[in-house]
Amino acid sequence: MPALPLHHYLIVGAILFALGLIGFLARRNLIIMFLCVEMMLQGVSINFAAFARYRGNLQGQAFILFIVTVAACEAAIALALILMLFRRHHSLDVSKWQELREPGEEPTEDVEPLPPAPREPPLPHLTPSGVEPEHRAEESHV
Amino acid sequence: MSDVRPFLWLIPALPLTAAVVTGVFGPRLLRRHSHWPCILAGAGACVVSLMTFLAVHHGIRDFVVSHEGGASSQEADPHPHQISVYYEWIKVGDPGAGRGMEVGFALNADALSAMMVLMVTFVGTLIAIYSVGYMHDDEGYARFFAEVSLFLFMMTTLVLADNFILLYLGWEGVGLCSYLLVGFWFTKPSAAAAARKAFLVTRIGDMGLLLGILLLWSRFGHHLDYQHIFNHVERARQAGTLDYGLLTTACLLLLCGAVGKSAQFPLHVWLPDAMEGPTPVSALIHAATMVTAGVYLIARCTPLFMLAPDAQVVVATLGATSALLTALIALTQNDLKRVLAYSTISQLGYMFLALGSGARSAGEAFVTFAVLAAMFHLFTHAFFKALLFLSAGSVMHAMGGVIDMRRFSGLRKVLPRTHWTFLCGAGALSGFPLLSGFWSKDEILDAAWTAGNHADRYASWYLLLWLVGLITAGLTAFYTFRAYFMTFWGEERVPQEAYAHHHGHTAHGETPQLESPPVMTIPLMILAIFALGVGGVLGPTHLFGGFVAHTPGLPPPEHESLNFTMMLVSSLVALGGIGLAWLMYVRQPDLPARMARSAQGLYQLSLNKFHIDELYDAFILAPLAGLTTFLRIFDLYVLDGLVDLTGHLFRWLGVRFRPVQNGLVQFYALAMVLGLTVFLIALVSKM
Repeated sequence: MPALPLHHYLIVGAILFALGLIGFLARRNLIIMFLCVEMMLQGVSINFAAFARYRGNLQGQAFILFIVTVAACEAAIALALILMLFRRHHSLDVSKWQELREPGEEPTEDVEPLPPAPREPPLPHLTPSGVEPEHRAEESHV
Repeated sequence: MSDVRPFLWLIPALPLTAAVVTGVFGPRLLRRHSHWPCILAGAGACVVSLMTFLAVHHGIRDFVVSHEGGASSQEADPHPHQISVYYEWIKVGDPGAGRGMEVGFALNADALSAMMVLMVTFVGTLIAIYSVGYMHDDEGYARFFAEVSLFLFMMTTLVLADNFILLYLGWEGVGLCSYLLVGFWFTKPSAAAAARKAFLVTRIGDMGLLLGILLLWSRFGHHLDYQHIFNHVERARQAGTLDYGLLTTACLLLLCGAVGKSAQFPLHVWLPDAMEGPTPVSALIHAATMVTAGVYLIARCTPLFMLAPDAQVVVATLGATSALLTALIALTQNDLKRVLAYSTISQLGYMFLALGSGARSAGEAFVTFAVLAAMFHLFTHAFFKALLFLSAGSVMHAMGGVIDMRRFSGLRKVLPRTHWTFLCGAGALSGFPLLSGFWSKDEILDAAWTAGNHADRYASWYLLLWLVGLITAGLTAFYTFRAYFMTFWGEERVPQEAYAHHHGHTAHGETPQLESPPVMTIPLMILAIFALGVGGVLGPTHLFGGFVAHTPGLPPPEHESLNFTMMLVSSLVALGGIGLAWLMYVRQPDLPARMARSAQGLYQLSLNKFHIDELYDAFILAPLAGLTTFLRIFDLYVLDGLVDLTGHLFRWLGVRFRPVQNGLVQFYALAMVLGLTVFLIALVSKM
C-alpha cells in the first residue's frame, strides 16, 4: 500500500489547528475555548508525527509525548481554574472576566450575553462522618 | 645649611595639620581651646621659617665670600643659597624623553621666598594670638581658627612653590580661604555678598593667571618650574629667537592674575567689601599676606618681565592709577576699616609701580633695585598695615562693633595702648621720616624717578608716574592722619554699644575698662616695634636688599647710595599731609565740612568711590544680567519646550493606544494571531 504523501497529513494538521484557532477566538464558553486549545495542540502533534515519519526518525514522536503530557497537566490546572471562576460568577462566559483592563477604560458590554447558567441544585446533606456510634452497654457482666 | 632641608616640608604641613585637627575636633572637643593648634602650628612654622631663613642667609654669605676669594664655586653648585625639596606629585607620560610632563610638590626656599615665608608665618602667628581676644565669644571660634590655619598652609605653599602649578594651587587655596573668612559671618547678607564678590572678582584675574601659565608652558619649552622657564627664555634671548610679543602677552596674563589677587585697578572693587570679615582676617589676608601674592608673583617672574618693557609699563601704570585713585577715595571714607582697605590697595599700587619701573634699559642692576624696593615695601607694609588693622580691630572691639568714625572720637584716653600702636602704624604708613614706610616708599619713588630719567622708552611716562606716586604719598599721609585724628582726638565720645558687654561693671558705678585685653594688645605692641624699626634697621643698612638681591634670576645689584634729595622731598610731602590733617581735623574741625560743601561734586565723587561699582553694574553686570535673562527664557521656553514636546508626544500616543488594553482575553489572542499573520506574510513574500 503506497503511503499517503506528506502534505495530506499536513493539511489535516492545519485544518485541526485552524478550527481550534477559530473556536478559541469565536466561542466564549471557557470550557469550549479550552477544548479548542487542545485541538490546536493536536493539529501540531499531527504535524510532528507526519514529519517524523517522513524523515524516518523519532524526534517528532518524542515531542508529541511531551505535548500530551503537558496537555494533561494543563487540563488539570485549567479545569480547576475554570471551576473556581464559575463558582464566582455562575457563568462560563469569558467576557465576565475583564477586570485587568487599563484603569479608567469602560468595560466592553456584551450585545447578547450568554444566558445565565441554571442554578445547580443544592448539595445533598450527608451525615457527618467520623461520629462515634452509640454503644449499648453490655448486658451481662459475666 | 643642609640641616634644615629635611624640615622644610613642616612649614606648610604644620598649619595643614592644625587646620585638620581644629576642623575635626574643634567644635566638639576643643571648643574654647581651638586656638591652640593654630597658634602652635603657626609658631612652629615660624621657627622652621626662621631656621630656613638663617640657612639661606649663611648660604649667601658663604657664596659671597667664596666669590670675593676668587674661587669659581659657581660651576660646582650654581645655587648654593637655596634649599629645595621635591616630592613626586603629578607625572604624565614620560617626561625624561620629552613627552608628557612632571610637576612635583617642589618647595624651594631662596632669598625671596625665605623672606616672604618668615614674614607670613610671623605675622600670621601674631594675628592668631590677637584673634584669641578678638573672637573670644564668637560661635564659630573653632571654624575661624581652622580656616586661618588652612590659609597659612595655602599661603606658605604659594610662597614656597617651585613651579607654577603648585603656585596656582596655593593661589586658589588662599582665594578659597579668603572667601570663607570674608563670609565668616555668613548669616549677614552683606558678608555673604562681599565673600561672593571677592571670590568672583579674583576669579577673573585667576583666569588670566591660568592662561598665562599655560602659555608659558606651551610656548616656552614645556616647563612649569620657574628656573627652567627662565633659563629657556634667557637662552632664547641669547640665541635671538625670543618671541617678544608672545612674552609680553604671557606677562600681561600673569599680571592679570596679580591684579585680581592684589586688588589693583580695575579689579580693586572686592577688597573694600572684604572688610565685612572679622578684623584679624582683614589684617592677615587682606593687608599683610594674601593680597601681596600678586606682587610676589611679579617679583618672582622678574626675569620674564624685564624682557617685556611694554608689560612693565602696564604694571607701573596700573599700580600708579590704583595708588592715586584709591588714595582719593580714602580721603572721604568714614569707615575706619575701609580707609585702611583703600590704603592697602594704594600701597600695593606703590609696589606695582616699583615693579613696573624696573626697566632693563636703565641697567640690569636697576631691575633688581626696583624689585627690591617693591619687596621692601611689601615687607614693611605687612607689619604696619597688620598693625593698623589690628589696632582698628581693637577700637572696633572696644566700641562694641562700631567702626564708623563719625560715632566716636577722642579715644586717646579711653584706649591708651591702642592709641599708641595705631599712631606707630599711621606714622609708618604715612612715611613719617625714619619710620618703616618712609624708607621703603622712598625707594619706590627713587625707582620711579630713576626709570623716568634713564629708561630709553616711556621715560616721560615714568616721570609722570613718579609724580603720581609723590602726590599719593601726600594723600596717604593726609588720610591716614585724618583717620587717626578723627578716632583719637577731639572731644571724647563713645557709642552706646561699647557698654553693652559691661553691664556688670556699670552696675557698681565705676567707669568700665574699655581697653582690649593683653592677648590683643601684646601682639599690637610687638607689631608696633617692627613697624617703627624694621625699615630703618634693614633699609639704609642694605641688610634687606643685600639678602633678597641674591634670589636666583635677579640680575646682580650695584650698591645704591641713598638718594637724600628724594628723602627730603618725600618727607616734606608726608609732613605736609600730616600737618594738613592736623589743621583740618584738630585745629579747625569745621573746615572739612565747609570744604565738602564748596566742592560738593568732587566730595561726592570720592565718597561714592568714583562710582566704579555703579559703572561695573551698568556696563558689565546689567548686560550680563540681560543675557542671563534671555538665556533663561530661551532655556525655559525653547529647550525645555522641545524636551516637553517629546514627552507630550508619547503621552498622547499612550492615550490613543490605551483602549487596546481592554482586558478581553480573546481580543489579545486575536491581536496575536493578526500579528503572527503579518509576520508570516512578510516571511513568505520575502522567499
